[in-house]
Amino acid sequence: MGITLDSLWLGFSVALQPGVLWYAFLGCLVGTLVGVLPGIGPLAGISILLPITFGLDATKAIVMLAGIYYGSQYGGSTTSILLRIPGEASSVMTCIDGNAMARKGRAGAALCIAAIGSFIAGTFGVIVLTVIAPPLANIALKFGPPEYTALLTLGLIFLAYMSTSSLTRTLLMACLGLLLGTIGIDPLSGHFRFSFDIPELGDGIGIVPVAVGLFGLGEILATPSHKVTGEVIRPKLRELWPSREEWRQSGWPIARGTVMGFLIGIIPGSAHIISSFLSYAVEKKVSKHPEEFGHGAVAGVAGPESANNAASTGAFVPMLALGIPTGPVTAVLMAALMIHGVPPGPTLVNDHPQVFWGFIASMYVGNLMLLALNLPMVGLFVHLLRIPYAYLYPLIIMFCVIGVYEVAHSIVDVWIMLIMGGVGYGLKKFGFDPAPLVLGLVIAPIFEMSLRQSLIMSDGNWTIFVMRPIAATLVVVCILLLIASAVSAIRAQRDWRAKMAEEVKE
Amino acid sequence: MTLRSDHVAGAAFVLFGLAVFAFSGDLPFGSLSAPGAGMMPKLVTGLMLLFGLALILGAAKSQPFAEIDWSDGGHALQVVVIAAAAIASYQTLGFIVTMTLLVFVLLVVIERQPVHYAGAYAIALTVIAWWVFGKALKAPLETGILGF
Repeated sequence: MGITLDSLWLGFSVALQPGVLWYAFLGCLVGTLVGVLPGIGPLAGISILLPITFGLDATKAIVMLAGIYYGSQYGGSTTSILLRIPGEASSVMTCIDGNAMARKGRAGAALCIAAIGSFIAGTFGVIVLTVIAPPLANIALKFGPPEYTALLTLGLIFLAYMSTSSLTRTLLMACLGLLLGTIGIDPLSGHFRFSFDIPELGDGIGIVPVAVGLFGLGEILATPSHKVTGEVIRPKLRELWPSREEWRQSGWPIARGTVMGFLIGIIPGSAHIISSFLSYAVEKKVSKHPEEFGHGAVAGVAGPESANNAASTGAFVPMLALGIPTGPVTAVLMAALMIHGVPPGPTLVNDHPQVFWGFIASMYVGNLMLLALNLPMVGLFVHLLRIPYAYLYPLIIMFCVIGVYEVAHSIVDVWIMLIMGGVGYGLKKFGFDPAPLVLGLVIAPIFEMSLRQSLIMSDGNWTIFVMRPIAATLVVVCILLLIASAVSAIRAQRDWRAKMAEEVKE
Repeated sequence: MTLRSDHVAGAAFVLFGLAVFAFSGDLPFGSLSAPGAGMMPKLVTGLMLLFGLALILGAAKSQPFAEIDWSDGGHALQVVVIAAAAIASYQTLGFIVTMTLLVFVLLVVIERQPVHYAGAYAIALTVIAWWVFGKALKAPLETGILGF
């Protein structure tokens, strides 16, 4: 613990430097805006702004980009509560009761509870991250290719199990992502795969064009401006403080959402989205007045908002300790670190302590900044929400093109983004969630490399995955999850995921 | 039998999987002790075919294909065509001209906004973006044949 505190002290000495503080503030501000504005999520926001960080050092770059990520979780609640449009996918659940509270004249209280819940969850997440990431990184040093293969397989299966869409659909998306990830030169043999004589495809398909296409452009294609109408409720500053009863009602939901969100955040998948859905379902289940949900229940705002913030912090644990992205956002953050010559993973804490601890310390500061930003400046964000969507989406398309092109100055990447936009639109029509596709694309190179290395190590013997204790444990968990899913499917009963998906649709 | 959305989606994945198999014919699978470049694509494609067939078999629970709401299809197609034209001309015309035209055409053609509003907004937006990205953040933006 002493070493951790010393290291954290080092982190604060980095995070409190004026330059780092400025980029943390900039990241939090942009993140809040990204969260507030409908049609542009944290992934598109980070991807678009990634090229901007090329001129910065690794610490400032990762501090700013991470600020965008967790800032968007705060900002998303503003649009949900005041406009009933989720500014960000993880804010969908907040729309329901947050907007209902706003219509009852409690918009300020809903925003305050969302912000305080987010702050508590975010800070709790950073404290746990501080404590568990370094020892986990030490354990991860013992991981070899079989352990990584088993861990990534577990991530994919867990994602499928937790997803609100069916197991088959999620695994199909993950397969498509893995397949896209095989495009380019095979790193072991040098073979060109599916590059169709296009030199740019030799390096493979980048995460940024795929993610921006699916989540940024795809969303715009499916959202004609006449469908984006809504009355913005403007809260008064003096109404921001919740009543004693509202505080009482939000206490346990914040606590439950925080712990649940953090645990879900560690697991690969769209953790911040899944965690808010789960938190809402749990709060409704444990509430003495479930009939209030949908009509302005305080717990329906406090729980999901805390959960999505805790999950976004939890997602940094495997990224920093294991070098494994839990989703597309952490994948882009990892790419940002690698661009700056800092390989994420178990060696990060020892080889680049200033980056590691500076980043963690900046999250404590960032959460405070976000609390200060989101409550007093709510009036400004309300004005932003009044910009007609018809004028907003051309701006987003412009940012998409700039962001994708500037990563590698490749027009092929921009074409890929456009194609992926069309694919994203089609997937939406057929009810597919594109998140597993991006996750598959992200983990494809690590997964393929570790699988092939494992087979070479064992001279083609598959039992290598069950002969090593850590890998065997992970494989057993994979099998248990698959059995649980299969039993649920065989019984043909509507399980909790299907019910939850239905509730969300309603 | 009613054609359902999962019939179409499953069939699309099966066809895509077969096409990938056809294109990956020359990639060596190798052996288990020395996996080749084709092992991963072929394994994943096999799984995709399997899941695609499973989707078709379980399609009865999905919505009828005819009930999918395509009312936003016109908007989507227009955005794609305009964006494609902008991408095709980006390196030739450069950032300022292409982006101004992109925003202007989106506003006038799709959103039916007044030409003078759209023009002023497109120019202002592009100039601000050019200043922020090109000047303040020093991101090299395309200049094109016109030199700006």
